[in-house]
Amino acid sequence: MVNVVWMQGATDNGCLVSFLNAQQPDVYQAIEKLGVTISYQNTINPTSGKDVIATLEKYIAGEEQLDVLIIEGAIPRGPNGTGMACFIGPRSFAQWVSELAPKANYVLAVGTCAAFGNIPAAEPNPTDATGVQWHKREFGGFLGKDFRSRAGLPVINISGCPAHPDWVVQTLVAVLLGKKVELDKYNRPRDFFGEDITVHDGCPRNEYYAFKVAAEKFGDKGCLYMNLGCAGPHTNSDCNRRLWNRQSSLTRCGIPCHGCTNPDFPEGSMPFFQRRRLVVEGWKLVPYIVGSGFMKLAKPSRLKNE
Amino acid sequence: MMAELDLSPITRIEGHLDFKINVENGVVTDAKAIAALFRGFEIILKGRDPLDALVITPRICGVCPTSHNDASARALDDALNASIPENGYLLRSILLGVENLMSHAAHTYVLFGPDLANKKYEKHEAYPELAKRFAPLTGTSYKGAVFARIKLDEIFAIFGGKHPHTTFVPGGSPARPQVSDITKALSIFMQVQDFIENTTLGCSIERWLENKSLKDVQKWLEEDEKHANSDLGLFIRYGPELGLHKLGKGPGNFLSYGVYAQADGKNWLPAGFYDGEHHSLDQTKIEEHIKYSWYTGYEGGRHPSEGVTEPYYEEGEKYSWAKCPRYDGKPVEVGPLARMIIDKDPLVLDLAKEYGPCVYTRVLARLHEAVRLAAKIREWLLELDPSKPFFGSYEKVKDAEGIGLTEAARGALGHWIRIRDGKIDNYQVITPTAWNVSPKDSNDVHGPIEQAVIGTKVEDENNPVEVQHVIRSYDPCIACTVHVITPRKSYRLKVV
Repeated sequence: MVNVVWMQGATDNGCLVSFLNAQQPDVYQAIEKLGVTISYQNTINPTSGKDVIATLEKYIAGEEQLDVLIIEGAIPRGPNGTGMACFIGPRSFAQWVSELAPKANYVLAVGTCAAFGNIPAAEPNPTDATGVQWHKREFGGFLGKDFRSRAGLPVINISGCPAHPDWVVQTLVAVLLGKKVELDKYNRPRDFFGEDITVHDGCPRNEYYAFKVAAEKFGDKGCLYMNLGCAGPHTNSDCNRRLWNRQSSLTRCGIPCHGCTNPDFPEGSMPFFQRRRLVVEGWKLVPYIVGSGFMKLAKPSRLKNE
Repeated sequence: MMAELDLSPITRIEGHLDFKINVENGVVTDAKAIAALFRGFEIILKGRDPLDALVITPRICGVCPTSHNDASARALDDALNASIPENGYLLRSILLGVENLMSHAAHTYVLFGPDLANKKYEKHEAYPELAKRFAPLTGTSYKGAVFARIKLDEIFAIFGGKHPHTTFVPGGSPARPQVSDITKALSIFMQVQDFIENTTLGCSIERWLENKSLKDVQKWLEEDEKHANSDLGLFIRYGPELGLHKLGKGPGNFLSYGVYAQADGKNWLPAGFYDGEHHSLDQTKIEEHIKYSWYTGYEGGRHPSEGVTEPYYEEGEKYSWAKCPRYDGKPVEVGPLARMIIDKDPLVLDLAKEYGPCVYTRVLARLHEAVRLAAKIREWLLELDPSKPFFGSYEKVKDAEGIGLTEAARGALGHWIRIRDGKIDNYQVITPTAWNVSPKDSNDVHGPIEQAVIGTKVEDENNPVEVQHVIRSYDPCIACTVHVITPRKSYRLKVV
């Protein structure tokens, strides 16, 4: 049996809603075949009130082993250090996290809010919110750089607004089966967020991108990068390889990628609908511009942005 | 003998709700609904590009994000003089409709349903059947609903890219679905329809929609065993025996902003206000109070366009991060029951006449709306015409104002935007649950859920399921409720 506690802080519940769409494994397989017991998750919890508090107290007192602590949502430390911008019964959310995290074998920060702070931590950060172990691109966050869960690992970040259910359940299964999860420089599983993976990969508009055929307005067929602010080439995640809800992705539906898995989302992507940089980090500007000119000339006539 | 009961946290709702009640001789005499999260949402929109609101505001709520997509796009349609082709309206209605249907399914089976398997009802003859179907996670219908939800999200993603969190744009739809996308969506929809018809209704969607009165429903129940033994049949028969018609009356005032905009300028479900009589909606009658909310800056009520939001956290009289909206000075209920009453749906009007507003009526109104919506989504899908445009146009405007009114699954949602110098000068949101879960107003009148809870008989203080029935019947969504409205300037929270 594996005990999982899922705590929600400054969140919109979107990661939980997304998690319920998991199919490999689905929630039932996780429970029946992998022995997962969800001891507390507010939105689906059978019990309420003091029964919930008692369950959590049991883990804090060490009376029962907490295997996995999932945190969804940023952690508000305000107002004035009280943490009371978010509370659950008798404790602030911040206090729950600081008491539960050291008891857990593994701590997973699910979603960009828990991983990096996201919208609640955006300037002027009115509730002094932060991620569980990162604040945007800075290591530390709420628990600090030195925090390690009982299994000796830092907080595993699964960013995304929301996080893709596969990213969460595959990481969970890997941890439960004792597989080593390779992490990237932001402590995210490399399988989903590695440097060699971008939202641009697998985008059906790639040919338009290659020949520099730009969408001028919403609903056009061309590439969304040049004029509509697509962050796909700047964003490390596998949305266009994996697809969402087994069907599609934002760029497949004409919506530019907003870069929601990035540590500096949302500020790093705003304004959302204007191109932010000509070239991606690590590219060479002059060859890129020259190459683009030639690719435009080479454009097949069937490619139109209309 | 009076006891103070702390029911915090309330689970199986969306987001953070703490709740405290006083119980005297087994009856609730006072109630405090405590919204337990504050994020300071609209502050970061100030000074941003107006279109940024399209991405930021849906993240107020991951449960009903598409209602925020719709409200923000409508506010910008209004401000930026958008022109929207018929396909654009249809696609927005499909996406919002699919989300609302999904939300209703999740509420009925995942959030509310498990209470029907509460040990309080152990001795009732229907208990074994109720437990078999509605027990959390293991219930057969619960399980069916979990997978129907996933299918609805797949339909959503075909047109919106992903759920949760697509992005709407002013001027229509950025997606250009092909015929094959529409046929795929219709095919997935048939799987959802199977669940609705085999498990929820025990009959076809069309057959259920023939019911226009309680007399018709009685006839429907007697017509076929499948009807009587469906989830809905079971609920209709046993709801009153479990006492659900005596719980959760509420204030009896209802508000809807109207939803599912059509190309002819009308909404499929209309806007209005009902307080015993039907009135047209006058949004200037909306006011927000803050006497019992953790904000300061004014006394009495203010229209949101003149609102001030200055957070002020203290341990004293104030008890919630939710503000307190009132319409014409009155607390009002929003949600599917309100929409059905304002639409003058004959079945729901008959139901409300017989039982009044209560847990039983509220749950049935939600299910009835869900069935109507399912039929409508299928119509909308067939009306899409891939040979015509999905996106029209909008203008770049330096100074403008816009209002976007729509309905989330759980009720009226409004966005107000003011643009100056091409940037957002002010952005305001009033969410559905702010109406339902509001604390007391300046005249010390309780909010709708508080009113509905007061007077409830609690049989067992260790298992106050009656109170939980009432709270959950409103489908509260706290993630939506708590955010900042109209900051005048940047600030950080101060503890006083």
